[in-house]
Amino acid sequence: MFRRSLLGLSLVALLGFGSALAAEAPSEIKLGTLYASSGTFASISMPVHLGLKLWMDQKNAEGGVFVRAFNKKIPLKMVEYDDQSNTATAATLYNQLITQDKVDVLISDSGSVLTSVAVPIARDHKMLLIDQTGTGAKFFSPDNPYIVLIADPVSSIWPKPLADFLTHDGPGLGIKRVAMIYATNDFTGTQAAAVRKFVTEAKAGVELVYDEGIPTETSNYTVYINKIQSANPDAVIHLGYATNDIAFLRSLADSGAQFKMLFAIYPGLETELLEKNVGAKGLEHVFTYVPSSELEYKPDFGMTLTEYKDAWHKKYPDGKVEFGFNSVAGYTTGLVLEKALGETASLDQLDLRKAFDAVSGKLKTIDGLFEIDATGAQIGSLTPLGQLVPDGKGSIKFVSIYPHDTATGKPVYPAP
Amino acid sequence: MLSSPLATEIVNGLFFSLVGGLIYGLYFSLIGLGLNLIFGVMRIVNLAHGDFLMLGAFAAYFAFEFLSASPIVSALFVFALFALLAFPLYYALVPRLLTARDPEMLSIILFFGLSQVIQALATISFGTSEHSIPGRALAVGPMAILGQSFPKTWVISAGVSAVAVVGIYLYLYRTRIGYLTRAVMVHREEAVSTGIDVHRVSAIAFGIGLGLAAVAGVFAPFMLNVITPAMGVDVTITSFTVIVIGSLGNPLGTVLGGILYGVSYMVMQRYLSSWANLLPYLVLIAVLLVRPSGLLGRQVRRA
Repeated sequence: MFRRSLLGLSLVALLGFGSALAAEAPSEIKLGTLYASSGTFASISMPVHLGLKLWMDQKNAEGGVFVRAFNKKIPLKMVEYDDQSNTATAATLYNQLITQDKVDVLISDSGSVLTSVAVPIARDHKMLLIDQTGTGAKFFSPDNPYIVLIADPVSSIWPKPLADFLTHDGPGLGIKRVAMIYATNDFTGTQAAAVRKFVTEAKAGVELVYDEGIPTETSNYTVYINKIQSANPDAVIHLGYATNDIAFLRSLADSGAQFKMLFAIYPGLETELLEKNVGAKGLEHVFTYVPSSELEYKPDFGMTLTEYKDAWHKKYPDGKVEFGFNSVAGYTTGLVLEKALGETASLDQLDLRKAFDAVSGKLKTIDGLFEIDATGAQIGSLTPLGQLVPDGKGSIKFVSIYPHDTATGKPVYPAP
Repeated sequence: MLSSPLATEIVNGLFFSLVGGLIYGLYFSLIGLGLNLIFGVMRIVNLAHGDFLMLGAFAAYFAFEFLSASPIVSALFVFALFALLAFPLYYALVPRLLTARDPEMLSIILFFGLSQVIQALATISFGTSEHSIPGRALAVGPMAILGQSFPKTWVISAGVSAVAVVGIYLYLYRTRIGYLTRAVMVHREEAVSTGIDVHRVSAIAFGIGLGLAAVAGVFAPFMLNVITPAMGVDVTITSFTVIVIGSLGNPLGTVLGGILYGVSYMVMQRYLSSWANLLPYLVLIAVLLVRPSGLLGRQVRRA
């Protein structure tokens, strides 16, 4: 009897000791991430990466981030590699972050292309993927808890304001024939599918008279513009990355072609970059998303947009990486992660996912409301549809068009 | 049947792609011209060719940004600048390379390294974002050619390419140094034995090759629409496709390679856009299967 009690006490003591060990705080929390300093995706990767670093440096200056599991602040360490916009390199490096560097938190590179290779790797290693801006709909499924999308709406709902504008307000303006050209990657391919679905389901008398997917690497749009002109559309939707938008808008200006309505993604998301390359004139009357870098969301956590913009320009004064939507996205990743670490019961990956679920719907940053669905897809603040119009000072400004409750003006249609 | 609107549209579309491909392809001839000249004379593979083009593009960008320099003026300036810079680079790298047992293979490694260094330095200096020169710096709006409308910037870029091609032809076939260059291209050792200063001839060809790459870079913002420090790799690959189609070592074969590349690319964009980026390489494979030495391969041996 005594021996059994002694054994029981020993087991309890051992378990207690084990718990004490488990609860011992690490000296640092390793954030593993990739960035692209060159190649096709550098211009969307570097602002996200630098935004995340800005947040991390701020936190480390304050002694680290508070982690509920250890009831203390713990410094952050970033393990970062350059994937050079190459998916094969990215796949190798994601594996390295998990298996060699044994990071505590895995954060993907920006954009759907470089995130796409991380999704199965993270899932196989039962590692939660902090997906910053990879919005491809196929990344998210009910049977995969190892992903959470932070800063952008999932692509399957992102273009809803655009499609709703076309189907609700479009017929009244005379928009019945829509042409859509898109780059065939997870990001814009999913958005194209969503536009097609919303427009078809609306049965509003709006039809897609031109619908073509082209390689993401396309830089010569002369033939495509000629084809779109032949379709005689009332509105044109171009869905591509920043490089695609620059090439498309420049080709359009050089060819002398003009459409009554033109929508493109990046004139809104990376306005500084697009204005630098296309010129204010080339962006006039282009419809686009109104991003968080333009909307003054009132954050209940982190800096305001003005404060963040000042902090960005102070930290990165050389201007080699433009301030825009993606720089906000990187900082937002940090803020949401900070909140989740403040909630998590442990650094176990599923506990971390539960912490993100707990934060969902309750956190408002400069990027708007953070809210995810059961699959981890971001469904918080949708970016309204806007139009870039001359500001009278030689530049351009945003006018929010749709939904009507957030509208700040009426659309200029047809474009003069 | 042929008079139906659909048939008219198909014929018009095809014609647009053919004419557009011709203009676009002429620019790619310029891109490949310098690379092929260097390979033809020195038998070295300049894997940094696209990076020199990128540097030319950024030179024109900064010349426009800070001096409002016309791209045409920039083209003349960068040609002279890069041709001059090529001389010390040539004498620092190439003579030693040519004494190696397998200079072609070593040149691949050496110029790959040079490419990486140039790209890294350019990234540090210029940042990672896209840059471009406004189209108005060269010309505004479209121009009608054979009833089709094309950007004036394209037409001017293609015109400059044509001038460069004619210039290379005159250099090779109408000047004394050109005769010597062709002699070195045909047989380097025999050229040495006849007393030709092959290093002088090669250095000049190297200078012209880099100068042409830089000139192609000046027009890259108008033809490729964006320039980045990382653009060189893709440009080098495309250049190789163009010159292999035309014939390695025959600078004038590059013209044919460029035009075939441009036309096939734009025809594919019209009819099977998803495959557009792949087709030129399929053309490359097809040409090599039918004529392993390229379309003008035989003429090289007879030169």
